[in-house]
Amino acid sequence: MTRAEFLKSVDEILELAPGTLQGPEKLEDFPLWDSTAMISFMALADSNNQTKLAPRAMGACETVEDLLRLAKVE
Amino acid sequence: MHASLAAIEYYLPERTVSTADLAREFPEWSAAKIETKTGIGCRHIAAPDECSSDLAVAAAQKLFAAGSARPEDIDYVVLCTQSPDHFLPTTACLVQNRLGIPTSAGALDINLGCSGYIYGLGLAEGLIATGQARSVLLLTAETYSKFMNERDRSVRTVFGDAAAATLLKAVHTQEPLMGPFIYGTDGAGGPNLVVPAGGMRQPRGPASAVEVADDQGNVRSQDDLYMNGPEIFNFTLSAVPESVERLLQKAGVALEDIDLFVFHQANRYMLEHLRKRLRIAPEKFYFALENCGNTVSSTIPIALKKASLEGVLKPGSRAMLVGFGVGYSWGAMILRPSEIA
Repeated sequence: MTRAEFLKSVDEILELAPGTLQGPEKLEDFPLWDSTAMISFMALADSNNQTKLAPRAMGACETVEDLLRLAKVE
Repeated sequence: MHASLAAIEYYLPERTVSTADLAREFPEWSAAKIETKTGIGCRHIAAPDECSSDLAVAAAQKLFAAGSARPEDIDYVVLCTQSPDHFLPTTACLVQNRLGIPTSAGALDINLGCSGYIYGLGLAEGLIATGQARSVLLLTAETYSKFMNERDRSVRTVFGDAAAATLLKAVHTQEPLMGPFIYGTDGAGGPNLVVPAGGMRQPRGPASAVEVADDQGNVRSQDDLYMNGPEIFNFTLSAVPESVERLLQKAGVALEDIDLFVFHQANRYMLEHLRKRLRIAPEKFYFALENCGNTVSSTIPIALKKASLEGVLKPGSRAMLVGFGVGYSWGAMILRPSEIA
């Protein structure tokens, strides 16, 4: 999965219009970034990038970019 | 001698909480979103004076009324619950008396959650194969709703109360009809699905009853059920595929040789992810949580009963059952079902 496809999937998880997220956005600014969204992102990384994400490490992410880095999205 | 799964009945409390009800209580979550994420439309909730033994007795009475066995036939009761009527006496003992099961029967409780049905079947097979029992009544009963804070949507959207009664009978067969079994335990995950107060480690009191809102607005106290959803999901991503692989190897069969997969019905989103990851065909993967939610140790017997009634679980077929959750505790087994009443 490319970076653009990943971002589009995160748009969907956060119920945003496709193309909204670019990377520098702060997660705390999205009210829908909750435990359900975290699970959806974990499933996304597991399915498409074969990356298992530790919830604690996800909790430490401040921006969308941090999440992509954790999921090893190029 | 080996154990044969002869009959299953289940009981759901009368009161229901629909997804629409929850959406009204938690307006930040739409009914559609709750249904998409959980796959649950309705949960049954025990009445204030309705305890696990009441649900277990109701399920067992249905089984006896259906003519699958008489109380006097039962020589062992295994009851799985984490919400017992009392610390003591043993809930299985109270149920033995209420059902009129002979005093010559053995009875014990096991304290396990979502893996409990697998462990219960493992115990029943052991009791029957070693000649200690001939007719085991396996009861699973939970009233998790009594642990849930009304303002904690993370658990209220998922869990429902229920009980199931499963009859295991001794039959003469060369090969076991239940097994092989594999098990797993990792107590490091204990804090991720827990009711912190109420036992001896942290008795209930004014301090434990103080309610706190988490950063997502869910309110709970130390007296209430807490579930760390992402950590539980992370655990299942590791434990379930590994268990399936380990069981296939132990049984000497391939994934394609399994006719039906019946996993603990945690929530639809998690199950669907596991199904895809394991490359299991949709028609071989059974869902049964829409009308009752995650009923903990009763999800698998409820699913087996429904699958049997629908003709999806056929006599002589090969089903894989996988239970996983609180503890962490997990287990998996192969079931060769006979005609399930």
